[in-house]
Amino acid sequence: MSTAEIHHATFVIERVFQTSPERAFRYWSDRALKERWNACHPDWNVLEDGFDFRVGGVEAKLWRTADGKVQTFTAHYLDIAAPYRIVYAFEMSLGGQRVSASLATVELRGDGPQTLMKYTEQIAFFGTRAALDARTEGTGSGFDRLASLIDAKPGAAD
Amino acid sequence: MNVQSLDRAFTALADPGRRAMVERLSRGPANVKHLAELGRMRLPSALKHLRVLEDGGLVVSQKAGRTRTYSMAPGAFDAIRAWVRQREAAMNDAFDRLEKVIEADEANEPRP
Repeated sequence: MSTAEIHHATFVIERVFQTSPERAFRYWSDRALKERWNACHPDWNVLEDGFDFRVGGVEAKLWRTADGKVQTFTAHYLDIAAPYRIVYAFEMSLGGQRVSASLATVELRGDGPQTLMKYTEQIAFFGTRAALDARTEGTGSGFDRLASLIDAKPGAAD
Repeated sequence: MNVQSLDRAFTALADPGRRAMVERLSRGPANVKHLAELGRMRLPSALKHLRVLEDGGLVVSQKAGRTRTYSMAPGAFDAIRAWVRQREAAMNDAFDRLEKVIEADEANEPRP
């Protein structure tokens, strides 16, 4: 696969939260609340961390990963309709090479005491296999971590 | 992957004879004669089916002398699949944490 190629993909994740849309929305709009669930790599060194949650605002993050590579995440908020909708465009790059650009849509819908959240990500991908492998090293997916936890502690769930 | 190439890939697979060829080629390369015998079809018919598979991006062919050998196309979509899987796994992890944070906060500060 050459860098001249672009591929598109979409994925959707749905969740139910035991709270109101107003409260659920705050976990996206409030910097401190968002950090509590969105920061995922304690071993990465944060070089830049901007968060400007408003239409036209930018959320920009720059890390140095455990293996010394620079990784970026830059999001532009395109549409915010509190507490029901957030639309943002973002790019991700690894070691100076842009891997993908996405459009993410977060929908929050009240359902009695619960909130249904639907996250849709539409990805334009222009990375290479090599760039991906560089990222995969040392991180691993959540499922891998879960599997290793289960393997390490037989009977822990009892 | 654009819609047209997706259409071609699905069209290529929408035939039991061609699916049998793909199953055979998944185990390793084979020449036209072998694939024709396997599907109990004549050579021109086998070639026609193989062209559809080739147009669909599923197989590739190489000509050496008088024989044409077919094999599965190298994983053209492995990278995008890997990336989407990573994105999905990362977001699922993040939303697991979000769920726990909300649960804890609601327990500490229940709604009126």
